[in-house]
Amino acid sequence: MSYAYLFKYIIIGDTGVGKSCLLLQFTDKRFQPVHDLTIGVEFGARMITIDSKQIKLQIWDTAGQEAFRSITRSYYRGAAGALLVYDITRRETFNHLTTWLDDARQHSNSNMVIMLIGNKSDLESRREVKKEEGEAFAREHGLVFMETSAKTAANVEEAFINTAKEIYEKIQEGVFDINNEANGIKIGPQHSPTNPSLPGAGGVGGSQGSACC
Amino acid sequence: MEYFKSGLKSVLGGPPPGTQPTGPETVEKLVSRVSTSTLLEDRRDACRALRALSKKYRLEVGAQGMDVLRQVLELDRADPEIIGYCLDTLCNITSKEIFEEERENDVNPNLNVGEQFSEMFLKNPENLPVILSYLEEYDFRVRWPAIKFLISLTTCKPKEVQEIILVSPMGMSKLMDLLAENREVVRNDAVLLLIHLTKSNANIQKIVAFENAFDKLLNIISDEGYTDGGIVVEDCLLLMLNLLQNNTSNINFFKEGSYIQKLTPMFVLPENLEEIGWSPQKVSNFHCVLHLVRTLVSPNNPAQIITSCQKTLRNANLLEALCSILMASGVPADILTETINTVGEVIRGNLTNQEYFTNVLAPSNPPRPALVVLIMSMVNEKQPFALRCAVLYCFQCFLYKNEIGQELVVQTLLPSSSGNTAVTTGQLLCSGLFSNDPLSNWFSAVALSHCLIENPAQKEQLLRVLLATNLGAQPVTLLSQCGVFLQHTSKLQAKLGILMLISMWMAHCPPAVKIFLNVPGAMAFLTAQTSASEFDNNAELLQGMCAFIMGLCVLFNDNSVQNYSKENLSQLIEKRVGLETYCKKLNEIARHELYARAAKQPQIRAKHSSELLLEFEFCKLFKIMEGSIIQALGVQRDLSNGISELSLSEHENALLLQYKDLIRDQDKKLQECQRKYAFLQKQFEDVKAQKDELQQTNIQLIDQHTLFKAQMSSGANINNLENHQNDNSAEIIENLKAQLAKKDEELADKIAELESYQKDQDDLLELLTAQDTKLNKFKEKLRQIGALPKEEDSNSEISDNEDDNKPSLL
Repeated sequence: MSYAYLFKYIIIGDTGVGKSCLLLQFTDKRFQPVHDLTIGVEFGARMITIDSKQIKLQIWDTAGQEAFRSITRSYYRGAAGALLVYDITRRETFNHLTTWLDDARQHSNSNMVIMLIGNKSDLESRREVKKEEGEAFAREHGLVFMETSAKTAANVEEAFINTAKEIYEKIQEGVFDINNEANGIKIGPQHSPTNPSLPGAGGVGGSQGSACC
Repeated sequence: MEYFKSGLKSVLGGPPPGTQPTGPETVEKLVSRVSTSTLLEDRRDACRALRALSKKYRLEVGAQGMDVLRQVLELDRADPEIIGYCLDTLCNITSKEIFEEERENDVNPNLNVGEQFSEMFLKNPENLPVILSYLEEYDFRVRWPAIKFLISLTTCKPKEVQEIILVSPMGMSKLMDLLAENREVVRNDAVLLLIHLTKSNANIQKIVAFENAFDKLLNIISDEGYTDGGIVVEDCLLLMLNLLQNNTSNINFFKEGSYIQKLTPMFVLPENLEEIGWSPQKVSNFHCVLHLVRTLVSPNNPAQIITSCQKTLRNANLLEALCSILMASGVPADILTETINTVGEVIRGNLTNQEYFTNVLAPSNPPRPALVVLIMSMVNEKQPFALRCAVLYCFQCFLYKNEIGQELVVQTLLPSSSGNTAVTTGQLLCSGLFSNDPLSNWFSAVALSHCLIENPAQKEQLLRVLLATNLGAQPVTLLSQCGVFLQHTSKLQAKLGILMLISMWMAHCPPAVKIFLNVPGAMAFLTAQTSASEFDNNAELLQGMCAFIMGLCVLFNDNSVQNYSKENLSQLIEKRVGLETYCKKLNEIARHELYARAAKQPQIRAKHSSELLLEFEFCKLFKIMEGSIIQALGVQRDLSNGISELSLSEHENALLLQYKDLIRDQDKKLQECQRKYAFLQKQFEDVKAQKDELQQTNIQLIDQHTLFKAQMSSGANINNLENHQNDNSAEIIENLKAQLAKKDEELADKIAELESYQKDQDDLLELLTAQDTKLNKFKEKLRQIGALPKEEDSNSEISDNEDDNKPSLL
């Protein structure tokens, strides 16, 4: 399985907001209604295509419970993208976003792309957080925003893929140092020898590099 | 030593002439110097001296100096040298090992000083993060001792260190950065530290994997020359093993991250390996790699993970590489053993891989299937025990969930096979089954039994196998030969092996039971064993096993052997052995230590051949069948009228069942009727009671009625006599009322009549008066005329009036 890039993601947010369900829906295309508490961290992977390039996503699904918070912190540094998830039917999960965001900003590399996700959009009747509120929060903190439903799969693909697109664009702009694996990005095995100058060449070189291949 | 002493002198300013300070005294002075001296150089020298004394006077340095040293770590950050001494000293006092120098002081070796000092140091949760922060210091004098100190602490108190590191921000990240270190000694110690830290802590394992451990470690391994590399390669592999063992998430990551493919270069054996041979380090490294592969496909993993890893291993040509090692020459026996085990687990339950394995050929002349070559080693007494176990395990893995493979092996034994003279697996197993080596018997029996697992077709096929025992003698079936051999061999291991094979064969296979029952002496042997009372040298296992076989003979008996029908056998057990004893014997198997060990995992975990008595799949069968056997015998006991259910033929049995159903049905109906009857009876009683009551009331009412009648006739007031609840009386009252109303009506009529009469009378009277007046008028006129005298007229007038009134009065 060759790929052009490999991105590492983490999924964070309060317990019970549907992080594991989002991952399962994305990797296995199925929904598990029974809430199984994530212990520590679980791993999932999938291949996507952006700009006709194969991109491998490696996703670490973290435990939302407070007890695992310090463990979760160990994953920020090495991730290129984070999905910050809240539950639109539980306001408190929305209220905790700032705590999560502070934590993420403090421990991650500054270029990590954070996607804000209001999950459980299928439960419209029980909605406690308006879509506009999510949008406003995202705007205020410079995040990308989306409402998803891990149950109906609405927007789940988009959430993961749009995050990847952001990261991809940042790579093209030369913002990420691809040679530093601590950023959560790896160049694919077949990709690196043919394109060795890409990462170091800066913004202009980077975009040129992508144009020629 | 002289140099050291002079150094010490310079630090302490020289001892007073004539007296030599003792070790503990020196330590005390040094500690106070470190804590009080204002000059960095003095503190540094004192620290250096403490380091020198920390092995010999470990107890003193630790007890007095721990706090001071900790202080130095916080206050003298800027000076790498003193920090280095400090960390070294701490490392020494917390070390688990007992130093040479210490032994001179005759310390109590049971008292683990290092562990106690480690505990002391870790008690304050702020201490460890300080050490972690020194990992970021690039200076070799600081970073290296910091790592060594952490190793020391982790060796003594792994759990505590793991917990603190998990909660300290970026703790694991700092440790992982050390793998990128270009000073090899630091990097290698970092690997060692990580090995200690990742032991049995899934969270740390996952973080380490997340931090690109596999990439970094595989890079180190490839830099060091793969399996030809030094001990670092082994350490890296050990760390990888720690990350993968029992950690599904990491195994998944390992597979998804295409790291399996990166293992391939490790399995490439150099062409001239036979000349250069295997260095001990290479053997160790190779062991680790094989262990790594086994961890990925271990039967303990979730099935989904196993299957996908097996597929990846095949696609990455690792299965091919492993098989070629299997067939290569000059491979050390223990590597070969582990390779056989590994191949087994890579093909276990995976049809494609099993098929691949079937077609692997050994480079002999003529080429033989690898399978045959392996079985040859298994039944060869001269081969090492572990290797023979590995072959059996590999063979079992090959047959696991592999009907085609099972058929393939059995096929080689059937008489119909062509005149091929080449040795086959089946032939090897058969000769092993009855050879003089009990271990070969056991191996062959177990191997054959695996051809029959959940495969009724092969059980019947194997019954067709005939053996020519003696020249000119009648050929006998394989199963009867097993029955004969069972009685002849004196070795427990051989007996148990054969019994396991027979039990696997007879389960759910009545034709096999039939053949076995016909083996002369077999039942007598079983009965004798089951009722025996010896209890040593694992004899209880043999007795239990014989009991088990007897039970299977009852359970899967089609009553085609007259002497040993279901009923006869059940009675045999009950009369000769006794049900209680029988159950006790049966229980002995499950209670045996070797049963518990064998039932735990499919892998064969025996260090010595004497431990090989029971086997995993047999344990599974036993667990399922034990209950059914006891139940079958229990049912027999319940039928006390002599005719046992077990003695009936199929048809009779069906009939019996039919009748049973009928009786059950009738029973149900009877019960229903009884219930109905009781209900009706009760209803009847109720009605009767009601009737009596009503009769009573009726009589009462009649009485009352008569009374009323009497009262009525006597003219008493009806309204005073009341019995409103009574319908009859109400009726009477109604009647009476009606009569009353009628009378009232009549009365009213009469009154009306009367009134009309009165009115008539009045009218008549008026008329009369008017007539009278007229009459008087006429009289007057007549008088006037003078026709009548006055007085007479008046008298007659009165008498007339009286006569007129009379009828009106009447």
